[in-house]
Amino acid sequence: MALRLLTRNLRNRISPNLCSASLLHSHATSFGFKEVREEEKSQMVGKVFSNVASNYDLMNDFMSAGLHRLWKDRLVSKLSPFPGMKHLDVAGGTGDVAFRILESINSIRRRALQDPINDDLQEETRIYVCDINQNMLNVGKNRALERGLGEDKSLVWVQGDAEALSFEDNSMDGYTIAFGIRNVTHIEKVLTEAYRVLKRGGRFLCLELSHVEIPVFKELYDLYSFSVIPRLGEVVAGDRESYQYLVESIRRFPPQEKFASMIADAGFQKVEYENLVGGVVAIHSGLKI
Amino acid sequence: MYRTAANRLLHHASLIKNNGGSHLRRLPVLGTVITSSRFSTTADLQTSPNQTFHPSDSSTSSSTVGDDSRQGSKNTRAEYVEAQARVLQASLRHVIKFGWSEEVMIAGAKEVGVSPSIVGSFPRKEETLVEFFMDDSLQRLIHKIVSGEELQQLIPSQRISKLAHPMNGPTSFKQRAMLDDEIWHAAGDEASDIDWHVKRTFLGGIYSTTEIYMLIDRSPKFCDTWLFLDDRATYLAEAVGAGMGSSLQGFAGKVFQR
Repeated sequence: MALRLLTRNLRNRISPNLCSASLLHSHATSFGFKEVREEEKSQMVGKVFSNVASNYDLMNDFMSAGLHRLWKDRLVSKLSPFPGMKHLDVAGGTGDVAFRILESINSIRRRALQDPINDDLQEETRIYVCDINQNMLNVGKNRALERGLGEDKSLVWVQGDAEALSFEDNSMDGYTIAFGIRNVTHIEKVLTEAYRVLKRGGRFLCLELSHVEIPVFKELYDLYSFSVIPRLGEVVAGDRESYQYLVESIRRFPPQEKFASMIADAGFQKVEYENLVGGVVAIHSGLKI
Repeated sequence: MYRTAANRLLHHASLIKNNGGSHLRRLPVLGTVITSSRFSTTADLQTSPNQTFHPSDSSTSSSTVGDDSRQGSKNTRAEYVEAQARVLQASLRHVIKFGWSEEVMIAGAKEVGVSPSIVGSFPRKEETLVEFFMDDSLQRLIHKIVSGEELQQLIPSQRISKLAHPMNGPTSFKQRAMLDDEIWHAAGDEASDIDWHVKRTFLGGIYSTTEIYMLIDRSPKFCDTWLFLDDRATYLAEAVGAGMGSSLQGFAGKVFQR
């Protein structure tokens, strides 16, 4: 209760014009700081990612000064992958998280060399990479080839919508979504779907850009976000708009506590979050029991 | 090891106490209550359904949600703790085969019918298992003491757990202190002055050295270790009698009679 009031106050302070569209339940939704109709949002997001797909990884490196690699490493280590696991990485188009998971499992297998049980299990490992955008998936498939994982049948590339997954109930040991959930139209649906496909004991992990509250750092971060990043986008990728959208969508995304309570509402237990770099990114996790 | 050494020390202490009597008296009921450990067995969960689960202690800032939001949530929060406890319990059975590792916890999870991903939800996996084992052992020891069962009977069944004892397991100071406390209380010691700390330190020392001795002991059924332990216990009793203070005179007196 108090939390909702608090977030509403924050939003009022940030941008008084947007109070009417603040709830994501309404027919209008947010596209950065713009208010758009729901049907349009996924189209517009689609355009953004078709535009950025080829430069996505490069821009990530620029914007985060390479830190995004460490953040993804942290995400995968929290996941604790094991041979034989069925994992779903949503909005994971270019494959960063999926590759890390696969490599982690492979290294476990190498350590337990003479173990026949593990070898059999390894055959069963499946990492599904699901993305709504085919361009992103194509980039991912190419990168897999470059890394020598092209022939690995553990990697499965699937085009699909996070709000309506094509996977069966109770079929996944793990679910990750890295830097994807702020782009969806209905966060609650994504969370419900995640809960549905996970097995009992399965874990949900979300890596996302989040809110910084530390006083001076917050101002610096805002400055960096609104001045530097769109300019970088313009220079490096030739696309200022998409990166303007990016930084706006971060601000519109619910803060850590609110998002954690949304995850709990979807049915997850032991919901926790870990702030990295003072809240620039946060890893939320939940357990399905 | 944990249980057997404790049992033997208790046995010693109880024999010392009961020297005058003709038969073994029932040990006094424990006055102490063990403070809540991180993971309780299912028996404990029934008695304390509102036990809160402490958030993971990673160095970066993190927090758990849902403490006060919903009334009905308390039962669901206990659910995952119970599921985790069951996984740990099942894992212990596989420790002989796999040692104290992540594989053993994965095997435990599969046995319980839960996805092995749950292992990732333990902040420090192997250490959690070891702590659970030690807490579990301690709880069982306490139950045995309270019910006054013949402690010697415990020894044969603990051989297996001894084999599984972690060679490199982290020794938790707090758990050791609790164990020392239990042993002394079971022996009927009521002192609460400065001697309390000294005695516990002594006992901790004996326990640790015996543990180390056992690691290199190759004698059948560890009989050398038991002799070692007997010697140390006698030494302790003598030291206690010689220098510790007037409150222990009665205790020491019985030792010397032996």
